Formats: sequence, structure tokens, C-alpha cells
Amino acid sequence: MIGTGIKRGTAELAVLSVLEGGAMHGYEMARRIEQQTKGALRFTLAALYPMLYRMEQRGWIRGAWETSSNGRRKRCYRLTPAGRKKLSPLRSEWAELFRALQRLTKVSHD
Amino acid sequence: MTDWQEFVRQRLSGLALDAGEKEEILAELTAHLEESYEAFCKEGLPQREAVQRTLVQVADWQDLQREILISRRREQPMKKRLHQLWIPGFLTLMISTIFLMGLQMLGFQPSIVGNGQITVLFYAPWLASLPFVGALGAYLSVRGGGLRGTVLLASVFPVLALTAAFLLMFPIGFLIERVIGSPVDFGIVATAILRDGIGWILVPGVALSAGGFLVHLLFSRRSWSKELAIG
Repeated sequence: MIGTGIKRGTAELAVLSVLEGGAMHGYEMARRIEQQTKGALRFTLAALYPMLYRMEQRGWIRGAWETSSNGRRKRCYRLTPAGRKKLSPLRSEWAELFRALQRLTKVSHD
Repeated sequence: MTDWQEFVRQRLSGLALDAGEKEEILAELTAHLEESYEAFCKEGLPQREAVQRTLVQVADWQDLQREILISRRREQPMKKRLHQLWIPGFLTLMISTIFLMGLQMLGFQPSIVGNGQITVLFYAPWLASLPFVGALGAYLSVRGGGLRGTVLLASVFPVLALTAAFLLMFPIGFLIERVIGSPVDFGIVATAILRDGIGWILVPGVALSAGGFLVHLLFSRRSWSKELAIG
């Protein structure tokens, strides 16, 4: 299980990445992230929405109300061009971090 | 059956946002809780346990309320621009201008580079100070939350102001000469643009942006390290 601190840092990347696949609402996003990370990343309501609102304020995502097939109204989020632009450097930064950690752990095991 | 809408409304009654915005948030969080609860019920959990598992998602509603308020707080775009560009920019302009005027008043002679028609004047101490001035502008812009483009603009603001003055000066001079009927030698104008462009815009711009770029680099690395540290 990944620690809380690292999870917080990866949260934005996780949200932007799942939204790259298409628009979705908060609950669906949380489920998708949990499934795709095999439970390593779990977003509770309290963690998810303040982050979504922050990302929306920054212009990375945009939310809009939509009515689903069962008639329930849901706020669906989409990646904006700014969010799409942000995703690439974020991915590089995290890839760099993981490579650095890999190198570090190899050294530690020697 | 739990009335999730009423439940959320009660828990977030102190959410100090305008009515429409608050209703949207309440509706969104309610929908999330409802879906979560229904999913637990579908998994076969008894109603009571499904409610409990749903409620676990928010440990502290006061804390959530505070987090939402912080995340929805909007900064006025003008105020943001003021702190990220105009204040740092005008400060760099003032400092660089005052320092140059001080040097001239103290009798510092400029270095002359080139010969013939194209001679460029450089105030070496002034040029040497510009990376620090640019760095100060960039630092203030970073502190104001400026992104890379704004930070670099703030650092080179003095040369932007000079460029604007240049762009205005030549057409106005040209018009005046037309009005008073004296002929314009475009060769001289072109030489003046080249000379002053190099001496007052290009070289100072490079010096200012060097400082600004270094500060931007330093702070972007620091903020990245900080993000990694807090996760």
C-alpha cells in the first residue's frame, strides 16, 4: 500500500490521466482510479472533491452537469487544453521520480 | 432509507459560498454518496453497514467544508496580474532606471563599443546590476504565483518599457520631421534603431532575463522538490 504523502502528490496526475480517456463524474473517477491501480490509490469523497475544484479553478478540468440514462444529474469533468498540456510534464516529473527511486533502491541494496 | 441530500445539507450548512454555487456542491456530493451507498448495497451489504461504509468517506465534515472553501476561493484576475506582473515589473523598471540615473549623475562614463556610425554605449556597472534586478522581478512574480511566462516578463519589464518607448519615439519623430519639412535620412534612422536596440534593449534584455531565468529555474526545482517531499 502506498503511503498517504505520495498518494497526495500523485492525485492530480491520476485525475488528469483518467480524464484523458474521456469525461466522467467524481464517483466514476474514484472507482476507475481504484480499479486501475488495483486499490493502491483510493479517493474518498473528502479527498476527491476539493482537489477537483482546485483543478477546475486552475483551468485544468471543466465540470458540467449532465443527465445520465437513469435520469440522475451528475457533474461530469473533462480535461481542458490546459489540463492536457499539464499532463505531459507531470508524467515526465513522476517518471523521473520513479527512475530516481529505482536507482536509489538499487544502490541501497548493494 | 437515508436522505443523503438532507444529510449533506446539514453537514455543510456553514459553506459560505453564493447560493447557486453551494447548491451545486451539495448536489454533487449528495450524488456521490448516493452512488457509493447504492454500490455497497449491490455488493450485498446490509443497509446499516452500507451507510457506515459510505460515511467513512468523510472523517471530518468541518474539515471538508474548509477544504472546499479554500479550493473554490477565487482570486480576482486583476489583483493576480498586479502581484504577478505589474508590481514586480514596475519595481524592476524603477530600480534599473534609478541606478542608471545615479551612475550618470555620479559621472560614470559609458564604455563605447564599435566604431564609425554604429557605436554602442554600455554602462558596465548598470549592465552588471541587471541580472540581479531581473532576478528580483522574477522572485516577486514567483511569490505572487506567476507562471513561467509571467515571471520572465516581470524580469525583463524594463526593456519592454524601453521597447514600447522606442516604438513610439521613431514614428513620432518621423511625423515631426514631416510636419516641419525637414527630410528624413532612413539610413540614420536604421542606424539609430540598430545602435539603441543593441545597447538599450538587446544586451540589457539578455542580462535581465538571465537573472529572471535563474530564479525561475531555482524556484521551479524547489517547488518540485517540495511537492515530492509532501507527496
